[in-house]
Amino acid sequence: MHLTDDERRIQAGELGEPQRLALRILVKLGEAYGAERLVEIRSAHLVASSYQIAGEAGIEIYTRLVEQGARVAVRTTSDPGSIDFSRWRDFKTPADYAARQLKIAELLDRMGVIPTWTCTPYTTFNVPKFGDHLGWSESSAVVFANSVIGARTNRLAAYVDLCAALVGRVPYFGLHVPECRRGEVLFELTPDLSAHFADECFPALGYLVGQTVGDRIPVITGIREATFDRLKALGAAAAASGSVALYHLVGITPEARTLEEALGGQTPVERIPVGRREIANVMAQMSTGQGGPVDVVGLGCPHASIDQMRRYATLVGSKRVHSGVQLWICTNTVVEEMARRMGYVETLEQAGARLMVGTCHNDCPLGAWGFRRLVTDSGKFAYYTPTTVGTECIFASTEACIEAAITGRADRP
Amino acid sequence: MRAERLILRGRGCAAGQFEGEVVVSHQPFGFWQGIDPQTGIVIDKRHDLWGTSLKGKAFVFPHGRGSTGTPGIFLEAVRNGCAPAAIVNVTSEPMIVMCALLAEAFLKISIPIVDALDVNPLEALRTGDRVRIDGAAGTIELVSGS
Repeated sequence: MHLTDDERRIQAGELGEPQRLALRILVKLGEAYGAERLVEIRSAHLVASSYQIAGEAGIEIYTRLVEQGARVAVRTTSDPGSIDFSRWRDFKTPADYAARQLKIAELLDRMGVIPTWTCTPYTTFNVPKFGDHLGWSESSAVVFANSVIGARTNRLAAYVDLCAALVGRVPYFGLHVPECRRGEVLFELTPDLSAHFADECFPALGYLVGQTVGDRIPVITGIREATFDRLKALGAAAAASGSVALYHLVGITPEARTLEEALGGQTPVERIPVGRREIANVMAQMSTGQGGPVDVVGLGCPHASIDQMRRYATLVGSKRVHSGVQLWICTNTVVEEMARRMGYVETLEQAGARLMVGTCHNDCPLGAWGFRRLVTDSGKFAYYTPTTVGTECIFASTEACIEAAITGRADRP
Repeated sequence: MRAERLILRGRGCAAGQFEGEVVVSHQPFGFWQGIDPQTGIVIDKRHDLWGTSLKGKAFVFPHGRGSTGTPGIFLEAVRNGCAPAAIVNVTSEPMIVMCALLAEAFLKISIPIVDALDVNPLEALRTGDRVRIDGAAGTIELVSGS
């Protein structure tokens, strides 16, 4: 691999051991994928900020790096942690577990990481622009940055993201290369579906696309309009059920102004029609049980935006959450503070809902709750919570989720 | 019947030596929410190896299915001495290769990984077989069948 003079100095250890080790790992990764050089990045985002992912091995690795003087070289933000930093006792998190997460927070702080604790760093202090090269992990953030913003990042792995942050570079291959961003599999929505594409169809379509393409790049036609939150939901589901890191919505996302542009002038390797029946089938698969009494409703995966907070508050209104149900809304501190100022937090808390800030159902230890049935509007939660929380899962629209929280029941859609 | 002396040749994705037992699965595998890093036991209820220990074994499976958190869980298992000691894939995806690279760099433990073999390892190998793996050379030698 060709290295610049600056990179050779890092390689020789002139900038310290953490940078030397980080560069060595990035070069090996690049060599494994035929990269000929490294490319400078604008920012990094770290997934091993959660104790559930990093564990004791992560604490050892971070401790050694901090002792050796490691500092991030570019803007770097943290993914959700494994606790709500101010309310972990309310979520029945064991104190010794919380202490280990707080230790990780201290170590990341000493390396200069911005403690956003969110899977949506692009709504806080890590906002890329079109064409920026990035070193991000967190599959839902990667797919958003690539698809919706048009920035360029591969799906980095835990710790490789920190290596990228320490040297401010990643190997130049995969989605950094324009020719590797062309769509490969074409999904064509049928006119009947296209005309009635409700909110909950976005995560369902994402789930279907991810299952179908694996790690290939999908192109979707027939969606007429999509809000920021709908694009977020679609991508997160596709990145969970498959390994999708980039999708193109023709007429909506920035590298897909036309079908030809999305496909890079090539013929798709596969064309897949998607109609109402396919969406109904995938929604049925996203629910793992028959329904019945509900004990937890999970919203805000990925972390809720201010628009979603307003929507939840409006849907709840003056009603009350059923006594047997926990309604948990996951978000970050930036959105929480704004929602508080705008009165949404008061409405939601008076109804009996709880905000879960800086973490989520997938990252927190929830064994003490004994949950059996979870209802969610998130394709990513639907994919993971049967394992992470160990519950039966019912996938439903946001309205139906709030309804389930109030009535205490949910049925299969 | 299998040939007495079977040698599979493929691509060495990560260096290291292994001799011991194999565990074979025909399903893709994700380590995050797939393995308990304290014990090495498979915890994904949807997986055919649910309840099986991968600790110290050569784990043979088609390919990884991966969250970006994969190396977090994998390195925790390595630190606890509960990770698979070698990996054989039909095709190794970057997340799996990264696990070995990071284990070597941060924990000084080599986990050999071999893929793209001349014979399908899912058919040539059976759970309980003893093999010798050379991660640098990309070879797997069947020492004794189960």
